[in-house]
Amino acid sequence: MATAAAVVAVRPIEPEQASLWSDAWRRLRRNRFALVASIYLLLLVAVALISTVWTPYRMSAVGITETYAPPTAAHLLGSDELGRDILSRLMVGAQVSLIVGVGTQILVLAVGVPIGLLAGYYRGWLDQIVTFIINVFYGIPDLLVAMILVFILGPSLRNIIIAIVATRWMDMARLVRGQAMSLREREFVEAGRAAGARPIKMLFGHILPNALGPIIVQATLGIPAAILFEAFLSFLGVGVQPPTPSWGSMANEGVMAIQYAPHMVIAPSIALSLTLMAFNFLGDGLRDALDPRSRR
Amino acid sequence: MFTRGTLIYIAQRIVLIAFTVVAVSSIVFLGIHRLPGDALLSERLRGSAYQILLHHYGLDQPLYTQYWNFVVGVVTRGDLGESLVNRGLQITPLVLRELGVSAEVGGLALLFTIGLGMVLGVFAAMRQNTWLDYLLTTTSVVGYSMPNFVIAAFLILVFGIWLDNLTGGTFYYQLGGWRGDIGQLWLPAFALGFPYASIVARLTRASMLEVIRQDYIRTARAKGLRESTIIIRHALRNALIPVITILGPLVIGIITGSVVIENFFGIPGLGKEFAQSILNRDYAIVIGVFTMYAAMVGLANLLVDLAYVVIDPRIRY
Repeated sequence: MATAAAVVAVRPIEPEQASLWSDAWRRLRRNRFALVASIYLLLLVAVALISTVWTPYRMSAVGITETYAPPTAAHLLGSDELGRDILSRLMVGAQVSLIVGVGTQILVLAVGVPIGLLAGYYRGWLDQIVTFIINVFYGIPDLLVAMILVFILGPSLRNIIIAIVATRWMDMARLVRGQAMSLREREFVEAGRAAGARPIKMLFGHILPNALGPIIVQATLGIPAAILFEAFLSFLGVGVQPPTPSWGSMANEGVMAIQYAPHMVIAPSIALSLTLMAFNFLGDGLRDALDPRSRR
Repeated sequence: MFTRGTLIYIAQRIVLIAFTVVAVSSIVFLGIHRLPGDALLSERLRGSAYQILLHHYGLDQPLYTQYWNFVVGVVTRGDLGESLVNRGLQITPLVLRELGVSAEVGGLALLFTIGLGMVLGVFAAMRQNTWLDYLLTTTSVVGYSMPNFVIAAFLILVFGIWLDNLTGGTFYYQLGGWRGDIGQLWLPAFALGFPYASIVARLTRASMLEVIRQDYIRTARAKGLRESTIIIRHALRNALIPVITILGPLVIGIITGSVVIENFFGIPGLGKEFAQSILNRDYAIVIGVFTMYAAMVGLANLLVDLAYVVIDPRIRY
């Protein structure tokens, strides 16, 4: 009897301590759409990685006898106008899409976050200049600017990423600016200032961590936007140059042959739509998980 | 509705738009002219023919003179210059003609976006948390995740090929209708507007849900008004305000999308000209079309801001 009582005494029921992140993780896991989307994206990353060392055929291997061949056991998704295996090209295209999507967002974070933090925290003339530039950028159709930039810089994967970042950084800057502006009025920031924390420490040690939730959501939703941009550019022929396949340029080649080889346009279209959808569902799920109040 | 203050505001905005147009086209002008080589390099001209052409386009002058002549031409005569590839082709009339074509397709796409988006959004809000609501909210994510050229390809496959084959090749041509066959106006407009329709639907749903919980709606119900009157006359008008805020980005989105869609369907509009000129390296046209776009976007944003005043009398400028 006494032992049993002792056991109970040493194991009090602990109140479940849930941090913001573990709470968010729990909510994200319950969101079935976001879960399926994450699994799809993990698979896509795996496919992109595998395609760097192995594809069913070489992505540029031409087969004169099997141009426009419909899907068969040998070519699971058929072949294109030069008889190249579409599955192999789709796999390499996944690399391009992921590099553009993730690469742009990393650069957007590197540019947009500091600008937004500085403008929102210090206000004044700096903020006015930043806001003016952001507003000017919002007034110009971004795809056209990106096309002109790629035209001036020359079409390469690196320049495409630069062009997309140049037309996309202000979404992030605006978001971070707004966050910094509301956070700087909070007590903990004032306490930090009173304790004599240096500005760098204030911005990156106190304000940034508290704005991390919306930033992550914005960056996740920025990935499909960047992938879509690259697809548009490549579809129009000013994006990734041959022989490197991109889902956009593959769809463009497919459209030319839509009457007699519809598989050529269907395969990259589905790959592109599924990927964009997965990132959007994941982003929506992250928004609901990290910021439950701001449900749209 | 429009006071004297509003008129002054409009005048200020137009001056600002003109300024932005000149500034934006200047940046593009200078950026492109910094490229190595010149526009005639690929033609392998020799001697005097080359010199005559350079002089014809004013390319033998220093950059600042070229730039000054360009700005003066745009501001005083609305003259965007001459095509570098199709010699003798004046850009301003070309761009104005193409603007008409683009405006027709884009306008229909915009009507379509707002109409379809609002109807779907209202239905989803009215049937909140039923299967219809879930279906509509989920398909809206699917909708804006599909690039417009994917939707266009799908439409061509269904209307242009599969249904046509099923009916022995007569279906497509029987679907004539207003302004040419459906592939000339209706399918492009649908493909152009559809991704944005789902965004409008989401937004309408959210703002409808907020509005129909308010007291004045309860009052309207208590007065015994018909449900349709309550929704259309009372709820929708207030629910529209957030939707109007995205009209500006929507117009920009449709202009952006039209570059892709016009190339897809071979529509001779501004978007096709822009992409083709970039591929042809005809930078005089690239600058001209871009200037036109900057002006259009500026005016569209101004119209959107004025639409606020019409919808919401509390807003004044």
